[in-house]
Amino acid sequence: MAVTLTEKAARQVQKHLAARGAGVGLRVAVKTSGCSGLAYALEFVDEPAPEDRTFESFGVTLVVDPKSLVYLEGTELDYVREGLNEGFKFNNPNVKAQCGCGESFNV
Amino acid sequence: MLLQISEPGIKPLKPRRIAVGIDLGTTHSLVATVDDQRPKVLEDGQGRVLLPSVVHYRADHTVDVGYEAIAWQNDDPENTFVSVKRYMGRGRDDLPETHNAPYRFADVPGMVQFETRAGTVSPVQISAEILKALRERAIRALGDDIAGAVITVPAYFDDAQRQATKDAAKLAGLEVFRLLNEPTAAAVAYGLDQAAEGVYAVYDLGGGTFDISILKLTRGVFEVLATNGDPALGGDDFDRAVYDWMLREAGISAPNAGDARRLLSAAREAKERLSEQDSAPIIAPLSDGAAVRCTLSRETFDTLTSDLVKRTITPVRKALRDAGLSIEDIKGVVLVGGATRMPCIRKAVADFFQQPPRVDLDPDKVVAIGAALQANALAGNRGDDDWLLLDVIPLSLGIETMGGLTEKIIPRNSTLPLARAQDFTTWKDGQTAMSIHVVQGERELVSECRSLARFELRGIPPMVAGAARVRVTFQVDADGLLSVSAAEQTSGVEAKIEVKPSYGLNDADITRMIEDSYKHARHDIEARRLREQKVEALRLIEATEAALAEDSELLSADELVVIHENMRILKETSDGNDWEAIKKAADALNEASTEFASRRMNHSIRKALAGQKLEELDA
Amino acid sequence: MTPEATRNYFELFQLPPSFQLDLDRLDRRYREIQARVHPDKAAHLSDTEKRLFLQWATLANEAYNTLKRPLDRARYLLRIHGVDTREEDNTAMPPEFLLEQIEWREELQAAVALKSLTALDGLAARLRKEMNSLLGSLATLLDVERRHPAAADVVRQLAFLEKLGRDIDQAQTELEE
Repeated sequence: MAVTLTEKAARQVQKHLAARGAGVGLRVAVKTSGCSGLAYALEFVDEPAPEDRTFESFGVTLVVDPKSLVYLEGTELDYVREGLNEGFKFNNPNVKAQCGCGESFNV
Repeated sequence: MLLQISEPGIKPLKPRRIAVGIDLGTTHSLVATVDDQRPKVLEDGQGRVLLPSVVHYRADHTVDVGYEAIAWQNDDPENTFVSVKRYMGRGRDDLPETHNAPYRFADVPGMVQFETRAGTVSPVQISAEILKALRERAIRALGDDIAGAVITVPAYFDDAQRQATKDAAKLAGLEVFRLLNEPTAAAVAYGLDQAAEGVYAVYDLGGGTFDISILKLTRGVFEVLATNGDPALGGDDFDRAVYDWMLREAGISAPNAGDARRLLSAAREAKERLSEQDSAPIIAPLSDGAAVRCTLSRETFDTLTSDLVKRTITPVRKALRDAGLSIEDIKGVVLVGGATRMPCIRKAVADFFQQPPRVDLDPDKVVAIGAALQANALAGNRGDDDWLLLDVIPLSLGIETMGGLTEKIIPRNSTLPLARAQDFTTWKDGQTAMSIHVVQGERELVSECRSLARFELRGIPPMVAGAARVRVTFQVDADGLLSVSAAEQTSGVEAKIEVKPSYGLNDADITRMIEDSYKHARHDIEARRLREQKVEALRLIEATEAALAEDSELLSADELVVIHENMRILKETSDGNDWEAIKKAADALNEASTEFASRRMNHSIRKALAGQKLEELDA
Repeated sequence: MTPEATRNYFELFQLPPSFQLDLDRLDRRYREIQARVHPDKAAHLSDTEKRLFLQWATLANEAYNTLKRPLDRARYLLRIHGVDTREEDNTAMPPEFLLEQIEWREELQAAVALKSLTALDGLAARLRKEMNSLLGSLATLLDVERRHPAAADVVRQLAFLEKLGRDIDQAQTELEE
């Protein structure tokens, strides 16, 4: 199992990385937050840590730390437009409940 | 929700838990919170921050609190309670003989209780009404329920007075994060505001209590070195000195309750006016149509109150000596409490410490602000970016030994939390019970210390006299509250302990009071229990999830499964409406994560010391 | 490592087990540990964690106070070396030391009878000097010569003087009231 991007999402990441002019990939992580505990985070990566796992998806390097991987195994990251907003959306098979604000989730 | 990519190293925002700091004062009380990283004192609907600590009981059992209650002071003094903090954890014997409050005291042992038209009430219940009013003010102002509160107490409060305060909060439906000493709260507010470092004295003269604390402030650590005080000395006493003088001037010997109330108010107004002016005219109408008219000069006032001012200096000396310091070591003196506005106090403090006191912060608000800052930190809203607060026990703890003598087991000014174990033995063959009388104070005779409680130990295995070794552990927690446990050492049998508090309420009393309070309210006690358990469950789940996110590698796969399973069950049950089931599931999760919590502590301490060693190498 | 299982306070602070101790380092390590284990850090956590933090913080205070105070530190070191100071039942003291004790006590009584704070202050200052000199010999006995039974004798003498110090303190307090 791994963490993957859709082709659309991969194109967006490459666009962002090019605009930033630096960075080796995208960090996908889970942090404590929100009203039901855990929240996703997306960050640029300048230098992966030694314990990180990496995945390749449509030419983009995804970096995941081992603690987050427990919760993210099998997750697919998509890029979507919803109404006026557009952004990355997590399709995580581990999620059992999501909090009202959508910011955090339980596994 | 759709996510954007952020720059590395920027922490995502955590949800804030709303926490408040409450200054439960003798004459007035305040509630404050931290909003957008700034502390602020909350106002009532009319923009007032001070809530007079006055409670009035009506015939229909409803109550008036604050300004609404003050209005009843003259017409219904028997049922209108002022300065009730003076009665917290106190018995009839503790009150001075000159005590002429207009209340009807109930004939009960232990803590005083009052007969009102709404039945017998204890000072704990009256204080709970004040806390409820502040809680409601906070909920109105912040638009959400409160996760918890820090409630301040005088540093010199003994165990019974602290316990009474905590019980009052429980009655008011507040989760108490911590009881915080008033001068310590002030030091936190002052220290953070002024970025102060060094040794400071906090001189706190409130409405009814006096505290002095000596603190050392260093890089995020507030360490109380010593504290002392007088739990029955405050601004009220200065009012009374003026009142007594007015009676002498006007030739009145025994005013009725209403007149006494009016004269006392006039005395207080005159005192307050003298902080700004050199003399104050006094006009107080009496019930017989006459009036007391006189003029009080500042000089006369200073003479009338010089003994009271001197009484504050003795504890200051003692605290300095306990801290092993002299006046030159004190970098600054912070004044706290409305009564420190009196010029005679400022002069006495300046003379003693040989430096002008600091008055940068509003002496009425500084305690509530410090409590709010601490509440925000305790709620976990600050992460690692918070401070360490080391406070002390103000009075020695001792046990009664042969001949009514005290044996000290915990000396005053020891840093909290702390524990002491003491071994006892049986003196009769087959003895299975013993009683331990715990007192608080500095005197050698038990009769001159405060009796806290008698602990009855039962279930000691029968042995020949002197063979049993009962190890009694006295634990004092960070609130300054004592608990006792006991085990027979040779057999490992835990003794059962029944606590008989001398001036406190036992658990049954508290439960009864909570139930009583619902008889006259629309809410249901079951609903309250359910709400409490749900909040507790949510907190536990959040704490466990945070712990797992940080340190799950400390667990084996099997252990992880067990914790996840217990967490799942708790989540499921807490969606339901059975508070007992939620409690059971919470206990199970607590139990399942005990070993995990223990490993996390070790991990954290090792990390801390490793960091220290690196720093030392660098230095 | 649980609070109960931590037998050695020196290990807790990761300091060498000697009488002469880097007190600044002890202070820093104590604070570093309290910053992690103080009950204030667990106010928003589970009951299990609250209990654990309370136990750890209690242990850290106990360990810190034992190592910080020279006399307690000496007792503790001796205990690690299996020497019991037996202060409750061993009152055998050199006769000259006991005679000195009687003199100290007489002076204390005289100062109390005279209600003289100055005399009490003077007595306290002399006592501190006397105790410092005994602590100096204790350092040699424990860290250099490793003569533990002799060190235990000095600890017993210091305990006498410490009790005297408390009595002087008590007299000062009562006089001020």
